[in-house]
Amino acid sequence: MAIADLLGGFADALTPVNLLFALLGVLLGTAVGVLPGIGPAMTVALLLPATYVLEPTSALIMFAGIYYGGMYGGSTTSILLNTPGESASIMTALEGNKMAKAGRGSAALATAAIGSFVAGTIATLLLALVAPTLVQVAINVTTADYFALAVLAFVAVASVLGSSPLRGLAALCLGLYLGLVGTDVLSGQERFTLGIPQLSDGIDVVVVAVALFAVGEALYVASRLRKGSVQVIDHKGSWMTRDDWRRSWKPWLRGTAYGFPFGVMPAGGAEIPTFLSYATEKKLTKHPEEFGHGAIEGVAGPEAANNASAAGVLVPLLTLGIPTSATAAIILAAFQGYGIQPGPTLLTTEGPLVWALIASLFIGNAMLLVLNLPLVGLWVKLLRIPRPYLYAGILTFASLGSFAVNADPLDLVILLALGLLGFAMRRFGWPVAPAVIGLILGPIAETNLRRALAISDGDLSVLVDSWFSRVVLALALLALVGPVVLRAVRGRRATPAEVDQAQEEDREVQKAANREGWGA
Amino acid sequence: MNEAEESVAAETPVAQRPGRFNGELVGAVLLAALGVYLLVDAGAIAIPGSSNTVGPRFFPYAVGGLSVATGALLALRVLRGDRGPADDGEDVDPDAPTDWRAVAVISVAFVAHALLINVVGWPLAVALMFAAVATTLQGRLTPQAAVRPFLVGLTVGCVVWVVFVKALNVALPGGVVLEFLTSWF
Repeated sequence: MAIADLLGGFADALTPVNLLFALLGVLLGTAVGVLPGIGPAMTVALLLPATYVLEPTSALIMFAGIYYGGMYGGSTTSILLNTPGESASIMTALEGNKMAKAGRGSAALATAAIGSFVAGTIATLLLALVAPTLVQVAINVTTADYFALAVLAFVAVASVLGSSPLRGLAALCLGLYLGLVGTDVLSGQERFTLGIPQLSDGIDVVVVAVALFAVGEALYVASRLRKGSVQVIDHKGSWMTRDDWRRSWKPWLRGTAYGFPFGVMPAGGAEIPTFLSYATEKKLTKHPEEFGHGAIEGVAGPEAANNASAAGVLVPLLTLGIPTSATAAIILAAFQGYGIQPGPTLLTTEGPLVWALIASLFIGNAMLLVLNLPLVGLWVKLLRIPRPYLYAGILTFASLGSFAVNADPLDLVILLALGLLGFAMRRFGWPVAPAVIGLILGPIAETNLRRALAISDGDLSVLVDSWFSRVVLALALLALVGPVVLRAVRGRRATPAEVDQAQEEDREVQKAANREGWGA
Repeated sequence: MNEAEESVAAETPVAQRPGRFNGELVGAVLLAALGVYLLVDAGAIAIPGSSNTVGPRFFPYAVGGLSVATGALLALRVLRGDRGPADDGEDVDPDAPTDWRAVAVISVAFVAHALLINVVGWPLAVALMFAAVATTLQGRLTPQAAVRPFLVGLTVGCVVWVVFVKALNVALPGGVVLEFLTSWF
């Protein structure tokens, strides 16, 4: 059943025109994703306008390429640049960077690329197998269950990401507020529009995502720009040797095994599985002495986990319409832009479209493997773009993307205002992703809550009526209270003075690392 | 920010200055204030007669309450010395003092370009913004130093405009000159 549908998807995706769109998406995604300071979420948000004018199938096929391409590009950046980047790539950077410095950059890039391909292919296959089954279950999910799922996603994203659960919640509140602005779907009433007519349609998700990710990042980097020339490590040495293969294939598979389930669960995407994968490889390796000095397992495992979770995130998105990462929230917005609402009925109403999307994920993945290693010299050139031009360019494309939505200059003013918010959030250590998820998932949660209570005539017990919602809400409570209880059990919190001291020590380590890096 | 604070900022990294007034406190208080606004203004949302038990006011009340609680708790934590670690990034120097001038110039340039788009067209408006941002980030603020960024910005703006407007049919004002030159497409 699923196989036949998937083959149908391949038939749609393998037409010359759609192959061209897939190739275009892969190239654009990698090129933008490789740029420092631009993570997968920003890549997807910035490139969204390029897909506006296409018909949905071609647009989503191009989008699939952008999504996977952005993931690939990010790993190249973290291996060849000597500075920490986005959080899901930190583990890759740890060992990959050391390998590159030791003259084994090519092997690091190769194990990352092949590992991403292996993980992406397996995880996309799992997506194709799991999705139809999950839809069968999801079709019986009630509005109350949906509300419970949304609550779990809120709590998980807020408490897992960022430096503290409270700061995650703060970011979530901002997103929920932004989601409230506009006309209420169920009653047709305007809410919090301040009398501005343009706000009655709500604040566009693309504008918010571009503002928080692109404009906020540009402002933040501008406020603390690293001076001096850009340090890009040469990618030297041979591609993978026989020994590298032997040491890589198991970490690839283990990384996939971590990444996919964590992507499926509403647990904030790729950070936890990449970390777990790194820890596992460090424990299982036969070369423990190499860890911290460029162990290939430490690149292979986390990179596979990262990509597998990217495919896993698509499972709740396509079957339930619930985004569990910032990137997924933007993809959901893209779907809505084409007039498609992801959810349990998506596979029946838009079956061919979804299968073409899944098929093009396979195709894009294969294209990336073929393109990435030979073209690495080109990507390295992108890494050397002078930073003043890079960030001016990011703002140019942010302007393009937001202005193209409604052709209204007011959108650009809102873009800057929210960009300043993103700047402040980065300074305070408030994670940005919960805000984006709150914005897109807030209205979904509200609609389902009100529908559930309308059916039950206001009886709140409907929310815990099914076993499904009870379990999910219990998990949400656990995710919220768990960290607090854990801290209480472990003893009192460190005093500010102790925290300061610890941070001081961290700084020293960081400075030493920087010195070493710049000297090399 | 005045110059005295700038000089303090130059000596110690921003996020780790103990005892210094912390901007996050403002953030937390503003979040609580946003919550109060939501709670108050939610009462003004009209409820249509046909609506049943849970109408359009319920969720705003919930979000407002959550914002007040989160903002208040966070303000307490910040007052007790808890600091969120500032974001890392490939191009971020964690020890650099905050360059408020760059933030201000970018903000002003961005608003100016938003207002100029419908007057001089997107490519020229974006080129001016590009030049202002890139020149500021270069750290050399002379007219000569702005020439190259402006030319780069103009090239990028024109190429992007041609691709998106002529090939992808995105609506984007091009300005008199560019629209005249490309009218034969």
